[in-house]
Amino acid sequence: MSFCKSLFSLLLLAVTACADMTDDLNPSGEDKRPVVEAGSIGPYVGQQAPDFTLSDTLYTFHTLSTELTTANGIVLYFNMWCPLCDSHMSHMRENIVPDFPLVSFFVVDYVTGSVSLSRSSQVANGFTDFTVLVDIDQYIVNSYNATMGTTVVIDSNGSITMNEDYKDGSRLRTALESLP
Amino acid sequence: MKYRIFTILTMTLMVGMAFLPTQSAYAASCCGGGSATSLILPKFSKAMIDVSTDIEKYDGFWNDVGDYVPDPAGSDLNQYRLNLGYAHRLASHWQASINVPYVWNVNEYSGLTSRTNGLGDTTINLFYEAFDTIKCVYKVNTVKDLVPAVYLGTSLTVPTGISPYDNVENSFDITGRGFYRLDGVLLVDKTIYPWNASLELSYGAYFERSVNREYGNYVEPYDKNLGNRAQGTFSFGYTHFLDTMDTLTFTGAYADLWEDEGEIDGNTDPTSGLRKRSVAGTIAFSTMNNDWVVKFTWNHAIQRDRWGANFPTTDIYTIGVRHVFL
Repeated sequence: MSFCKSLFSLLLLAVTACADMTDDLNPSGEDKRPVVEAGSIGPYVGQQAPDFTLSDTLYTFHTLSTELTTANGIVLYFNMWCPLCDSHMSHMRENIVPDFPLVSFFVVDYVTGSVSLSRSSQVANGFTDFTVLVDIDQYIVNSYNATMGTTVVIDSNGSITMNEDYKDGSRLRTALESLP
Repeated sequence: MKYRIFTILTMTLMVGMAFLPTQSAYAASCCGGGSATSLILPKFSKAMIDVSTDIEKYDGFWNDVGDYVPDPAGSDLNQYRLNLGYAHRLASHWQASINVPYVWNVNEYSGLTSRTNGLGDTTINLFYEAFDTIKCVYKVNTVKDLVPAVYLGTSLTVPTGISPYDNVENSFDITGRGFYRLDGVLLVDKTIYPWNASLELSYGAYFERSVNREYGNYVEPYDKNLGNRAQGTFSFGYTHFLDTMDTLTFTGAYADLWEDEGEIDGNTDPTSGLRKRSVAGTIAFSTMNNDWVVKFTWNHAIQRDRWGANFPTTDIYTIGVRHVFL
């Protein structure tokens, strides 16, 4: 029995020790967003969006700076064909996209690694009405500090006005309504 | 002195559980051994150690309307878990347990490979046994022999895992959900040898928390809560006695998990919520005294439309061993 008690105590100690690794045990609501230098290039709100050129799943190339000349703003949604991504994109298609016809929406696939596989996933998941950009080398996902569900809004000046998880879409709507 | 420290630690956990949230329920056997998959101590036993490994293979998902969707071609997504559990009898009708998982995520897509690991969310359980004597019988002679073993419990999930709100690089690092949860659990178990049946029902609520970081990037703070969660599991088993009086128990189970939509800043998040229905089969070897149990479980999510929503479909293979201190 003493062995059991020792093991139990060790488990408790392990949990306690690992608590240092996590903020979840005592979550913070403090605003810790970094202050950025206006005009600098980077992924944060207020910075200029890193330019890129990517092929979509129909082999058409899209360059961010070019797209910005014809749109009121750009939305990038980072997708890995998962349940949450599916839920986000379905919500965006039904509740956001129709209300902002002057904004270009792009889905960024950063996991499939090829245009043909990305197209297959796009069709299998039922999102052929979206333009899916294929980030084969994960250049864009890294440039924007993005991951599954990250949603980036870029205004017509190339400035990032939102870079965070899609969540329920309300912050995306707010960001799009604030576009100049 | 050592015993006092241990007692204080235990009591601290119990008090904490009264104010915080819980987790899962499990098919169990009050007799020990058998189909037990949970950290439920057999009646009159003093303590139990349980070590198990899970291999969870992801194979597609149900989307938000319940259609089954395959994973991208060329993907191989797996999670491996090492679960360490300990259960301890506090009094004749009371027992407590803790389960700590360690998680390895191994994900391979055609264009991306990721391998990460870390502690998962910890579960602490407290159960009350609403019966005085062992309810396993060999023959029904009176109506009393039909009375099942009933456990009433509470379970607290502590977010010791790595969540999206920790200092992580991307979604592949995640090993926990980041929320406390408190569950109430009802477990009814009846064995009339060689047959066994159990029903477990649980209902839990997460605790709202503040979020100021997502996948390592600080964002404008907001409050978030996940939806309430309900789960029901029914299992039915058959025990075969070997010549040595050791036993082999074969159990089939059906589970239905449901989680309501969550909230962000008090508003319903329509992209959240989930449903998962699965079946499982277990084969367990138990010694005559039920002090050692070795078991293998295969849990399968049914890959058909409308059998789940907003959740991955997976196969989970579990191999475990437990030792009961009588």
